[in-house]
Amino acid sequence: MSALHLAWRTIRRYRAQTLLAIAGVAVIGALLFDMLLLSRGLLLSFADLLARAGYDVRIVGGGGMTLRMPIPDSRAIAEAVGGLPEVEKVALVRILPARLARPGEAQSASVALVGASGMTAGVWTIVQGADLDGASTEACPLIVGRSLAARLHIAPGDAVRVNAEQAGVASALPAVTCRVAGVGRFAFAAAGDDIVATTLDALHRASGEARDGDADLILVASRPEAGSAAAVAAIQRARPGLAAYSNDEVLEQFNRNGFAYFRQISLVLSSLTMVFAFLLVATLLTVSVNQRLGEIAALRAIGIARRRVAAMLLWESALLVGAGGLLALPLGELLALGLDRILRQMPALPEQLHFFVFEPRALVIHAAVLVVTALAAAAYPVWVTARMPIAATLRREIVG
Amino acid sequence: MKLIFAAGLFGTATCAALAAAAPHAPAGDGAAPPVLVSRQLAAHAHLSTGDLVTLGSDPQGRRRATFRIAGIYEPTPDPMRFTATRLEARMHLPDLLDLVADPSDPASRESVSAINVRLANPADASAFAGDVAARAPGITARPASRARDDDPFAVLDRFHVAISAVTMAGGTAFLLALMVIRAEERRETVGILRLLGISRRTLLLTVAIEGVAIAALGAAFGILLAFATEGLVNRIFQARYDTALVFVRVTPSIAVRAVLIAAPLGIAAGIAASWTLLRREVLSIVRR
Repeated sequence: MSALHLAWRTIRRYRAQTLLAIAGVAVIGALLFDMLLLSRGLLLSFADLLARAGYDVRIVGGGGMTLRMPIPDSRAIAEAVGGLPEVEKVALVRILPARLARPGEAQSASVALVGASGMTAGVWTIVQGADLDGASTEACPLIVGRSLAARLHIAPGDAVRVNAEQAGVASALPAVTCRVAGVGRFAFAAAGDDIVATTLDALHRASGEARDGDADLILVASRPEAGSAAAVAAIQRARPGLAAYSNDEVLEQFNRNGFAYFRQISLVLSSLTMVFAFLLVATLLTVSVNQRLGEIAALRAIGIARRRVAAMLLWESALLVGAGGLLALPLGELLALGLDRILRQMPALPEQLHFFVFEPRALVIHAAVLVVTALAAAAYPVWVTARMPIAATLRREIVG
Repeated sequence: MKLIFAAGLFGTATCAALAAAAPHAPAGDGAAPPVLVSRQLAAHAHLSTGDLVTLGSDPQGRRRATFRIAGIYEPTPDPMRFTATRLEARMHLPDLLDLVADPSDPASRESVSAINVRLANPADASAFAGDVAARAPGITARPASRARDDDPFAVLDRFHVAISAVTMAGGTAFLLALMVIRAEERRETVGILRLLGISRRTLLLTVAIEGVAIAALGAAFGILLAFATEGLVNRIFQARYDTALVFVRVTPSIAVRAVLIAAPLGIAAGIAASWTLLRREVLSIVRR
């Protein structure tokens, strides 16, 4: 009879405790798996959001990536950057607070009015109607966020009144009439954000400025053969002092600052759960072996080698941890959905950002950690049985 | 002289160039207005009290003024910004306005980023905000304290509670498994006690008392461990983020909550595991 077979018979014999141990490992394993998903989840999700926009370099104003400040002379910068051989396309983004209302209705909603030139796909996803470029004949086409459209009962084709206003400036400008081209989901919008997008020209007309206002953000897509790093270098050569960041640099910056808490907490909790799992499996195996000392001594007495008994205990540990670890995966996915839902209630968080994101790396680490746990947990019981005096144990456990 | 960018200049400016002068005072330095610098900035730029520094409102340092460091302060720990390096300076508002105001725009001396208001009755915050919005269109007034629904720490609190619940579920399964093993170990003893006429209820009560004792000891050990590691965890994170923020605090209410959860769980696990043995016929317990 092989060591695996012996182990299998043992865990079948102690069914209740085996099932409870597997359930315990499954729950703790699920938590460990979730912490692994959390450790890089925000980063992966954020990278996906950035990549979805189709631009890999961002030029920002004096406030850096965290404070949105206008970029002086942004039109000229965009033209200069657009002419660089490393650059494929450039888009300007300007954001103003505005009020939006249906014609004839006094009640209006505060919205963030996003004016964008040369960009649509990726930053928002059209769920109803057409995109801005599909409504090019309109003077002021709008893409309205889903929640706002539902709240104000707005549908594609409807006319709305828009009052753009400069932050902190009292304005008595008349409203401009715009037409809703489509309803969309904005990649970087928080759950409670009301966002409306239009063309940069339409935003300029709505704000009634004497000259075009400065953009808050310039998005640049590098040519595939050049890459984002080369594009950033070319931009900085062409306009020294300009704050240009590749998506990788933006991610690195957020990884260092914004996401550090979740990385730390996932590290702390995964270490704790690993220690917890080790302690519990080791305790269970040790207590179980102590209970079966007579039986193990008998096995040794009938000629089963020390190595085979040790292998049996290792297999017991592997079967407990392995079964629990496998169950932990679907359980962890379910748990991750619940925990993600809790964390996504954070205010001002992009609706499409997720904290728990699966990647194969997490699965590999999960498996490796469980293997180490199984081996470590079996170490003490193996040591106990290996140095056990057969005759004395038999006398004590069976005759006594 | 070296140029360093300061991350935040309290008042209206958000970015400034800071030039730290040599410690010796140039002529006429007595007129230099005072400035406070954060501990982090002082360490970063090797500044000390009494030094003269030049602060500018643009990276090129075209608009700048000389200040004397009057003191070094520890920034108020801010959980929302604990990952940020607090390179900050504080000065009197008129000095800041002199530094950042646009000479061609007289109104710029009248502009500030925010006005803090302390209400006679804090409950009037919403009414006050509405009043301000009606009297000064374009100005937003909002309460400084966050509503519970809008508080990221309330969300983190819920997350931590969920994690604790999952850990408790895993721990309970293991506890049950251990108690089942223990009950099985005492099978012969329990059988003999039953044969002697001791009732199931008495035996279950014994197990419950034992469960309370073990759970109380376990909880006490856990609380002591938490108290012992509290300082260590705080020191590690405070050093990691260079902040005075307290990350872990074991309060009496947390300790009481831990005991209140652990004790019933211990009792329930003990009784459940023993019941699997006690519900059987007495002869089957002694394997007859």
